[in-house]
Amino acid sequence: MSAASGPEIDVADYRDVWVFVEQHDGEAAPVSWELLAKGRELADETGESLVALVVGDGVAHLAEEAVARGADRALLADDPVFEPYRADPYGEQFRALVEARKPSIVLIGGTHTGRDFAGRVAVPAHAGLTADCTELAVDEAGLLLASRPTFGGSAMATIKCPAHRPQMATVRAGVFDAGEPAEAAENAAEAVESVDVVVAEEDTLSTVLERVVGGVVDITDADVIVAGGAGCEGDVTPLVELAEALGGEVAATRAAVEEGWVEPARQVGQTGKTVRPHLYIAAGISGAVQHLEGMNGSDVVVAVNTDPNAPIFEHADYGIVGDLHEVLPALTAMVREKREVAA
Amino acid sequence: MNDGWNIVVCVKQVPDADDVTIDPDTGTLNRSDAPAVLNKPDHNAVESALALRDAVGGTVTAITMGPPPASAVLQAAVAAGADGGVLLTDRAFGGSDTWPTSLALARAAEELDADVVICGEESTDSSTGQVPPGIAAHNGWAQLTYTESLDPRPDEGVLVGTRDVEGGYERVAAALPVVVAMVFGANDPRPAGLHRKIFAETEFEPVQWTAADLDIEDRVGLANSPTKVGGMDTASPVERERTRVDSVEALYDHLAEVL
Repeated sequence: MSAASGPEIDVADYRDVWVFVEQHDGEAAPVSWELLAKGRELADETGESLVALVVGDGVAHLAEEAVARGADRALLADDPVFEPYRADPYGEQFRALVEARKPSIVLIGGTHTGRDFAGRVAVPAHAGLTADCTELAVDEAGLLLASRPTFGGSAMATIKCPAHRPQMATVRAGVFDAGEPAEAAENAAEAVESVDVVVAEEDTLSTVLERVVGGVVDITDADVIVAGGAGCEGDVTPLVELAEALGGEVAATRAAVEEGWVEPARQVGQTGKTVRPHLYIAAGISGAVQHLEGMNGSDVVVAVNTDPNAPIFEHADYGIVGDLHEVLPALTAMVREKREVAA
Repeated sequence: MNDGWNIVVCVKQVPDADDVTIDPDTGTLNRSDAPAVLNKPDHNAVESALALRDAVGGTVTAITMGPPPASAVLQAAVAAGADGGVLLTDRAFGGSDTWPTSLALARAAEELDADVVICGEESTDSSTGQVPPGIAAHNGWAQLTYTESLDPRPDEGVLVGTRDVEGGYERVAAALPVVVAMVFGANDPRPAGLHRKIFAETEFEPVQWTAADLDIEDRVGLANSPTKVGGMDTASPVERERTRVDSVEALYDHLAEVL
């Protein structure tokens, strides 16, 4: 334990951009493909290979899809010990791979699973890890510039990792475009390499007793979002009806989620999702910086609030002072009416 | 296991996020007088630690890393019911990123012979959430991040945690020792009792450990932090129309243009 930080490493020994393909039950998390597309750009800039890391049980199809989506190679660690995800076997496998193959950059989705994994694996590698990035670039020297909002979104901090490798970053979902896989990836299977599994079940530290998932919405894909905050006062029906009329999704602030009015998967903001819809209607939302951070990329923002001095009006294109329980139903009626006229 | 569990709760002093606002015109930060407080998610960690002690017996020890004034957050934990507090304080810790920070906390947890280490989800000033898995990784212990509730099973020597995962939840049984990060808002922290509060403010003195006490003086601080802040830019404020309308009809007309 008391050894110094380990031998000085030669950063020149480390090459390539890796993307951790997070998957659950054989299905890739959307952020995985977003990162693969971004990783392709970075690898092209540094002149290195893009490598997909696929870990799970019966997930060869994801390794092939990663190649179809632009990875030069995929490393596949396929074993029952990796399903479902657990930090310690995933961490041990990753440590072994990093030691043997020395990646320069590793990108991981900023999901709960991704952050659980990244925090674990960065330690044995003595890697530099930047959390929750929203911008990625490489400088002239090929050094990763990982940028993230800080101070509640008022500033962007750019983090570098000059003397340690790999350079790791968790990246927020919904920030980059995933793109589409190439149609005929005939050589996909050839670009997939199965690696030795270094973990045994008897060495694991935890057991997943039960996993209950499914049926949860993904608001990050919605074109229109109707979001509510404390001003909903327990009644979100106006949000639901307007969202339905506009073909959008309902979202909420942390306050509304904590009150139990809206499910956690619909939370927007620093500790929730980042969304960039075409239209974002903020109803009964004061406009705390933590919330703004999750929706500031929206094309058009509409604010509805009873308080004419609510900060949200400063961050909106169109604002109306009024009670959402009156404004939204009136708006919903108009949307429905015009649609009927059009039909 | 008859004596209960050694429960360690990690707490952090941060600037009060509620006092930090943004100027919409310049995008700059107004945080001038933000007072230092206990990181909000850590209140849930302290509550979980106390509830765990209620269930299995043992002790709760709060630890923090920082300059001497940071002991105020240990005082807050003791006021809430923690049995004691340890302040990791040393100039050598200065400039530590999450790698050495989690090392220091991991070594302290080892010194305290911890069975369970409980942390908040993340800090409101750095928001990385990397320290809890970092502590677990340094010590080779199990980890339960994004935990909503805990179900201790002392007879089996395991702690079962219900974790918030994408699209649902999972229940995971972890062998001791284990590092837990509680979801922010997972529980209702109990108020500090009056007598405990008086004790915390008048009699409580934290134990102080230096980097040398933990035998990590060559492994912490700026020099052992892989990440460096390469630059700080003011986020360019998003340009908005900021048009006020006074009727739903007018609002609808604007929406009709964009939809």
